[in-house]
Amino acid sequence: MEVILKKDRLGEWAAKLGEGADVFAPAFVEDCWAFTKVEPGGEVALDHGNTVRPAKGFVFPQREVLYRFSQDSGGAPRLTETLPDDPRAVVFGVRPCDGRAMVRNDKVFTCGFADPYYQARRERVAYVGLACAEPPSPNCFCLSVGGSPDAEDGLDVLMTELDGRYYVKALTAKGKDIVVAASSLFSEAQPADRSEAESVHAAARSHPQRSIAAMDKVAEGLKRNFDSPEWDALARACIGCGACTYLCPSCHCFDINDEITSRSPLAGERVRTWDNCQFPEFTMHTSGHNPRETTGARLRQRICHKLLYFVENHNIQQCTGCGRCITHCPVGIDIVRIANVMEEAAGQ
Amino acid sequence: MVVMEDIRARAKELLESGKVRAVLGYRRSSAGVLAEPAFVTAPEDTAALVLDATCVENLALYLVNEKKRQRAEKTPDTRPLAIVAKGCDSRTINVLLQENYIKRDEVVILGVSCENGGVIDTKKLNRALRGKPATAASFDGNGSVKAVFTGGETAVPAAEVLADRCLECTQAYPSVSDFFFGEKESGRTYNRRFTAVSAVADKGMEERSDFWAGHFDRCIRCYACRAVCPMCYCDECVVDSTNCVVKATTTADEKANRIRWIERSVCPSENAMYHLVRAMHLAGRCTDCGECERVCPVNIPLRLLNTMLEREALEMFEYQPGLDPEQPSLISSFRDGDPNDFIR
Repeated sequence: MEVILKKDRLGEWAAKLGEGADVFAPAFVEDCWAFTKVEPGGEVALDHGNTVRPAKGFVFPQREVLYRFSQDSGGAPRLTETLPDDPRAVVFGVRPCDGRAMVRNDKVFTCGFADPYYQARRERVAYVGLACAEPPSPNCFCLSVGGSPDAEDGLDVLMTELDGRYYVKALTAKGKDIVVAASSLFSEAQPADRSEAESVHAAARSHPQRSIAAMDKVAEGLKRNFDSPEWDALARACIGCGACTYLCPSCHCFDINDEITSRSPLAGERVRTWDNCQFPEFTMHTSGHNPRETTGARLRQRICHKLLYFVENHNIQQCTGCGRCITHCPVGIDIVRIANVMEEAAGQ
Repeated sequence: MVVMEDIRARAKELLESGKVRAVLGYRRSSAGVLAEPAFVTAPEDTAALVLDATCVENLALYLVNEKKRQRAEKTPDTRPLAIVAKGCDSRTINVLLQENYIKRDEVVILGVSCENGGVIDTKKLNRALRGKPATAASFDGNGSVKAVFTGGETAVPAAEVLADRCLECTQAYPSVSDFFFGEKESGRTYNRRFTAVSAVADKGMEERSDFWAGHFDRCIRCYACRAVCPMCYCDECVVDSTNCVVKATTTADEKANRIRWIERSVCPSENAMYHLVRAMHLAGRCTDCGECERVCPVNIPLRLLNTMLEREALEMFEYQPGLDPEQPSLISSFRDGDPNDFIR
């Protein structure tokens, strides 16, 4: 389903959707772009670069209560199910790299075992993508990892900005629903609109980006160089924070803890929170032994998970080339550079 | 004037003579506008060293990290490390010396004065470019910073993009050095000291509480602020779930019921607790290098917390960290005349 929306009617669409769902769109808050709730009558501009925090949090929040527990003194423990029941949400301005990352997250949370929390949220969130006319960041490299500035996978709708209007393509049933919900705002797309959209896409794809020169050889290079001393050199400046993974649209590791809200009578929650392979205690055993003791070993894990292990398990790179981990690294650690170095290195 | 060739030559000479095991300096980065930390061990690689307004990192962090790394090695190279240090960085080194974390003969300090007013703040640059990442930034010689981005460039007045700590800096040259590059200039401040913190601290309690609640609400607890801080060198931190000594005899119950001062959950109470604990642990130690605030991906103005305590220490105890490694530390010393009316 392909339709045209005049640019000045975007706010009306958001308002219409706001009647039955929470609507989010990027806003420039505290000097950075962030998905922000659009209040009734609020503006939606879609003039953003890429958001600092990715779109994954709508489906995989940093804190998820798995269930509540309580126990009266001497009694049996009681468990209360807590499946998410947030209102439906529509997220505007999602970049195609974040959409593709959701395909990766779907694999993790639905392959073999379907995670009910993730599933429940995924069904309630619609991602409305915005094709990139030019790379929003100098560290973009989506083309190197099989993506493109107009990639559709993982999104429910893809919008492309044309002159004074948006070319709106509904990609899923959920996507069609949110277009149909405001059908009076749209007109049917004509062949001329389609060809204009195609030329916008082609121009965006020919825009220079950062590049992993021989992506098809990177997995092999990482395997060959697993024991390379180069990892320590590359991670020498790593400070061991979690900015790279918490800002990554496809990082999905989590920890589970019991959090007590009352000691007597005993009550609390079992909580799932994001976790992070760059923290030293991520792999810390209770014995005190840590199999990934150094920053080099932890950096290797992050890069290999993105570009080797995920490829082995699912036949696609986990990384979608948004460049956030590069841009926001406090000390300039650069996955593109590392992939190129490891692909070229002869091995030990 | 700081002559880059002089720094490179000195670094090269130190490596060639084998007097140091590495030189910690700055080089251009493939990742973006800021220079990145460089660990130079080969004399010829000193040619890549740079020093300009994009060399923001406080490299003293690596004196700490390398010390930890060395402790884990069986046969560590015990030669000193050479380090390029700006004024604020050198004050950090002084505190590390004062606290006996490092010894004076373990470090060769290549002190540099900050010219043109200091280093840039990428967040301010971001504001000026409305979120479009800059690819290069440099002083243009006319009191402005030229910022280059994909598809264009713009000139921004220096005072609008310099880091707050640079605008308020009272000593833009090193307090300690073995080799010194540049001049000991003073009286170059743009703003009076504590300008930024006063704007917040002088508000009412409720307003301040709302201010911080709003900021802490965005925190994702990536701990970049802790990881980048040279003063946060504890081997175990109160926020980590491993801060419980596990022995062979520790039972599963004891492990499960270990004390957790701060829960893993990202929520207002835990986020506030984390930031306030960290701030208190830095009182009298923070030298205002501004790294915590710089690395925060969600732009929490963390420097304000630390400068608030810095201001208290100065006003109440006339104490300034980092000026002299021999001075007794704020927390472990007292004088008869110290104010104590806050003890109830």
